[in-house]
Amino acid sequence: MSTTLKIRRIISDQRVVLTALTVGLFIYFGLKNSAFFSTDFVIYPLLRDGAVLTVIGLAQLCALSIGHLNLAVGRMAAVAALASGAAYQYWHLSLVPGLLIGLIVGSSLGFVAGVIIVKSQVNAFIVTLAMDFALLGFVTFVYVTFTGATAAFITKPKGMEFWRNTSLHQYCVGGFCGPKVFPMMLVPAIIALVLVGFLYAKTRLGRELLSTGSNLRAAKLSGIPVDRRVIIAHTLSGLLAALAGVMLAFTNGSFTASIGSQFMLPSFLGPVLGGTLLVGGSVQVLGTFIGTMLTLVIRQGLSVQGIGLETLNIALGLVLLTALSLGQIQKMFTAIRMRGRT
Amino acid sequence: MSTELRIEKVSKSFPGVKALNEVNLTLKGGSVHALLGENGAGKSTLIKIITGVYRADSGSLKTNGEEKFFESPVEATHAGIAVVHQERNLIPEFSVEENITLHNPPTHFGIVDQGERTRMAKEALQTLGFEINLQERVKNLSVAQMQLVEIAKALVTKAQIILLDEPTASITSGETVKLFEVIKKLKDSGTAILFVSHKLEEVYEICDTVTVLRDGQSILESQPLANYKQSEVVDAMVGRHLADRKVELREVNRSVAPVLELIDVQTVLGHEKISLSLYPGEVLGMYGLVGAGRSELARSVLGLHKTTGGEVKINGQVVRINSLRDALHSHHIGYVTENRKEEGLFLDFPVRKNISVTVLSKILQKLGIISFQKEDAISSKYVERLGIKVVDNNQLAGTLSGGNQQKVSVAKWLAAETNILIIDEPTVGVDVRTKASFHELIVELANAGLSIILISSDLPEMISLADRILVMRDYELVENVSNTKDYPTMSRAVMTAIHSA
Amino acid sequence: MNFKLFFKHRATELSLSIIFVVGFVLLVATSGGVLLTRQSLQGFLTYLAVPIVIGMAQMVVLAIGQMNLAVGAMGGVSAAMMAVLMADHHLPIWLALLIGFLSATAMGALNGALVVITQLNGFIITLGTMTILLGFQYRLVRTFTVDSYPKSLPDFGNKSILGFPLILVIAFATSVLLSLFFSRTMAGRRILATGGNQIAARLSGISNGRSVFLAHTLSGSLVGIAAIITISSLPGINRSIGGDWMLASFAAPIIGGVLMAGGTVAVFGTVVAAGVVRLVDIARAQYSLDPSIVSLTVGIVVLSTVALSEWRRRRSQRALEGKKVSG
Repeated sequence: MSTTLKIRRIISDQRVVLTALTVGLFIYFGLKNSAFFSTDFVIYPLLRDGAVLTVIGLAQLCALSIGHLNLAVGRMAAVAALASGAAYQYWHLSLVPGLLIGLIVGSSLGFVAGVIIVKSQVNAFIVTLAMDFALLGFVTFVYVTFTGATAAFITKPKGMEFWRNTSLHQYCVGGFCGPKVFPMMLVPAIIALVLVGFLYAKTRLGRELLSTGSNLRAAKLSGIPVDRRVIIAHTLSGLLAALAGVMLAFTNGSFTASIGSQFMLPSFLGPVLGGTLLVGGSVQVLGTFIGTMLTLVIRQGLSVQGIGLETLNIALGLVLLTALSLGQIQKMFTAIRMRGRT
Repeated sequence: MSTELRIEKVSKSFPGVKALNEVNLTLKGGSVHALLGENGAGKSTLIKIITGVYRADSGSLKTNGEEKFFESPVEATHAGIAVVHQERNLIPEFSVEENITLHNPPTHFGIVDQGERTRMAKEALQTLGFEINLQERVKNLSVAQMQLVEIAKALVTKAQIILLDEPTASITSGETVKLFEVIKKLKDSGTAILFVSHKLEEVYEICDTVTVLRDGQSILESQPLANYKQSEVVDAMVGRHLADRKVELREVNRSVAPVLELIDVQTVLGHEKISLSLYPGEVLGMYGLVGAGRSELARSVLGLHKTTGGEVKINGQVVRINSLRDALHSHHIGYVTENRKEEGLFLDFPVRKNISVTVLSKILQKLGIISFQKEDAISSKYVERLGIKVVDNNQLAGTLSGGNQQKVSVAKWLAAETNILIIDEPTVGVDVRTKASFHELIVELANAGLSIILISSDLPEMISLADRILVMRDYELVENVSNTKDYPTMSRAVMTAIHSA
Repeated sequence: MNFKLFFKHRATELSLSIIFVVGFVLLVATSGGVLLTRQSLQGFLTYLAVPIVIGMAQMVVLAIGQMNLAVGAMGGVSAAMMAVLMADHHLPIWLALLIGFLSATAMGALNGALVVITQLNGFIITLGTMTILLGFQYRLVRTFTVDSYPKSLPDFGNKSILGFPLILVIAFATSVLLSLFFSRTMAGRRILATGGNQIAARLSGISNGRSVFLAHTLSGSLVGIAAIITISSLPGINRSIGGDWMLASFAAPIIGGVLMAGGTVAVFGTVVAAGVVRLVDIARAQYSLDPSIVSLTVGIVVLSTVALSEWRRRRSQRALEGKKVSG
């Protein structure tokens, strides 16, 4: 392939554009206000938040892979975190078993959603929307009932501080220590990215999930057990939502009812910006990470400028709409080019 | 000037296929003009050009003397052209009355004039001699009733030219009689009617003139139907050379147990007492018109719909097939679907992923990982075998031509190495050369031992390929004949079976 | 009039009305008649107004087979805008209300325009606009509660006509007008045609884009009315206004019989369903049930209603798939 063609290919890769944009904005914000480059106050928290939001983006990605939406990601994360928090507080479990409890709860919620979707044949949108509302009050109810005014499980399992506050700087090999900006919280996120990426790129299950998303009828008529795959996709979504929920609780330092309440929009922004299609059949795992980082850089950058939360929301909403519109416009041009009319 | 629609040297191409090639047709008021042709001959493309859905590449369209290609269906309607498609185009929740007046609802300053609307609808229905409750919601009507509502809709627009696309495809013979009375009335009042149909008996009953399309060209152009015998018309549709072609009879061993046997099978969809046997290496044809229930039967065998009675046997053993996965993996039955775009292909996936989808378990390395090498190997093997024209294995299926897409949808079943293959309308919308190579492929596969059920509405195709022909009508098997491959006798036998009361 | 046909078409509305009446009677009985006191009744009726109107706002978008997630955010922003205009900029009441109404309409129009231009589903578009609007809402009122607007407004809002709160009368009037819009005007019929069968609509010369745009704009106007009702009946406006509108806006029309696939509206059903949901709220207060139970119940009921209508639709589709029966 000629060099120009190679370059063109690289430029048109969405992930490259996104990375360039992220890095560019990063530098821009830093130049505007040097406080932006503060490791402890800006970059480290930014990457730590990025870890959490990437995982919730992956949760949504699993639903998107089969062309569904999971509107209950926030609530699933909340219930799972609640379960883990309760496990730490009342059963005095150590870190890993407590985490496992949360993951099991999240997966079960996803599983239930998947089963309802398959059995009732109702749109995933409606099912997860209804689940979201059903679980809404449930979470507050449980926290208040058990902990009264605090409305939080505050027992910290041993090791939480480690994951919450330390960085790769801990590990030194032959005199070279890891970067201080690299939060340990990124480790589970990276593991999730690798596993999910591997699933969809290389495994039979991943291929079947994407086939189901690309064309449900063709998948069924090719012998793929679509019902079972739908359930698996939603179970995975619940599992990852649970992980994100527990990660957030660790980041905050406690398990509260507000966990997950802000997950809905980021869960879409990451995948959509990263190139995952809303209609199913195509996912971009690494793109989810880059997309998430882009939105966080924008958020932190504006925040350091002193621009408030509200403008941020406005900016993010605009980013989402613009990204979607551009994608659609691109599709339109391709379609117009392909046929003369109709 | 009296009503006239004149199509002159109209051509239309799509990527990879020339759908219409200098077609001529003159439709005059006060006549019923048959438009005949095999599937894929160009009939629906022509209709879409007349009604403004497509734009022709060249040629002219003169409506009552005015030369103009329509830019949209609305323009065509304003010019007095109405079409009743095969698929219903009604608003399900709206009443009969409202659907009838949908093209030109009577309003005063944006408010619907319900009284006038009722009057208009009543008038149209009266002209048709058709009684129905005007307030009934259209979704509750029968197919035949819906069709009459559509014709009433055409009348209300004061259409002078009415195109009927396969109007009798899904209605009973009693309802057809009524429809023909209506058509006669319209003809007598000076309307020009274009009648598209596969049913020659009916065409001869009601039409005056005929145009035959074959592979995008007009073979017989606006000729008086009375001048041609049925067999001559069929020859024009099919091409003399095809009808003349010497086709060889194949030997099928029917002394062993059938690979697939249905005994008095009943399905939840309405099939009753369906019994058939498919022997090793046999090509069993299932002929019928749209709506006869053939695909539905195939899908029931594959486990997609419930069977409520009878037995299904594979190699002599009674089986219960509950899902397509079951059918494929346990019983090695494959299904090449009718609508390749909607059901047979993943248009956004590359060719190799389309072909490997049925054999994912066979291309794995350890740990459930897909081996791209094995996938490429299988994909290349069948791309070559079927002569699929691709740049490489990574070309997206959606960018292939119709014929190549069809080959891909067959390839995945060949890769799956099934014993039984049900092929549903394989050559619809496929060009002649690809069609011929498909036919060769089918015979080749059968000779290699694959047992094939071929569902087709293409009579010449059926007669040249099948060893045995089953005819289905209204979800029942009405005929089961050995195929002598002699076109005149076989076509007569089949047509008789289709039309016998 | 054909009675059988009439009732067949109105099964949902009938059953809902029965549920409402029975529920109401039960609550009255178990509350020892307290529910029938002037105060309780007024309270019940007053808090019925907003759910009805926002149910209408969602219904209009459901009619074209889409959803408007931004209902709450739109309402919050326009209420905040009106409050700020009156309190900080001392605009006369009528002008502020007009601006609020127009801005909500404009927001709806923006949604509609985006949906038509990008050809994307209303869900994702309104998710985006909702986010943007929430930002605006916060910008307008921050953490404050704006309550220094002229007293004549809440006074007006608390008025009653013949025992019915004025705002409820406004809600009813809106419903009646909307019902007439969809049954009698071409614009309304066109919206329903687009929702019922886009292809057939297009072939009949109906512009689907225009229908979609109009539906979203109308949704905005209705949200504007809801915002006006809100500001007339609440003592102050803060950033939480509209926060709980989204679920309520879906619950009423869906339970009321509006199909998610589009093509139908059910004004009466939506109104009665809003009433039924209010009854559930009252029951919660009366029996000191937990608010989470209400959410849970409503979530389950909505889910069941949709599942039931889906099941019915599939069943009739399967009947059509089989042997074609005539007559």
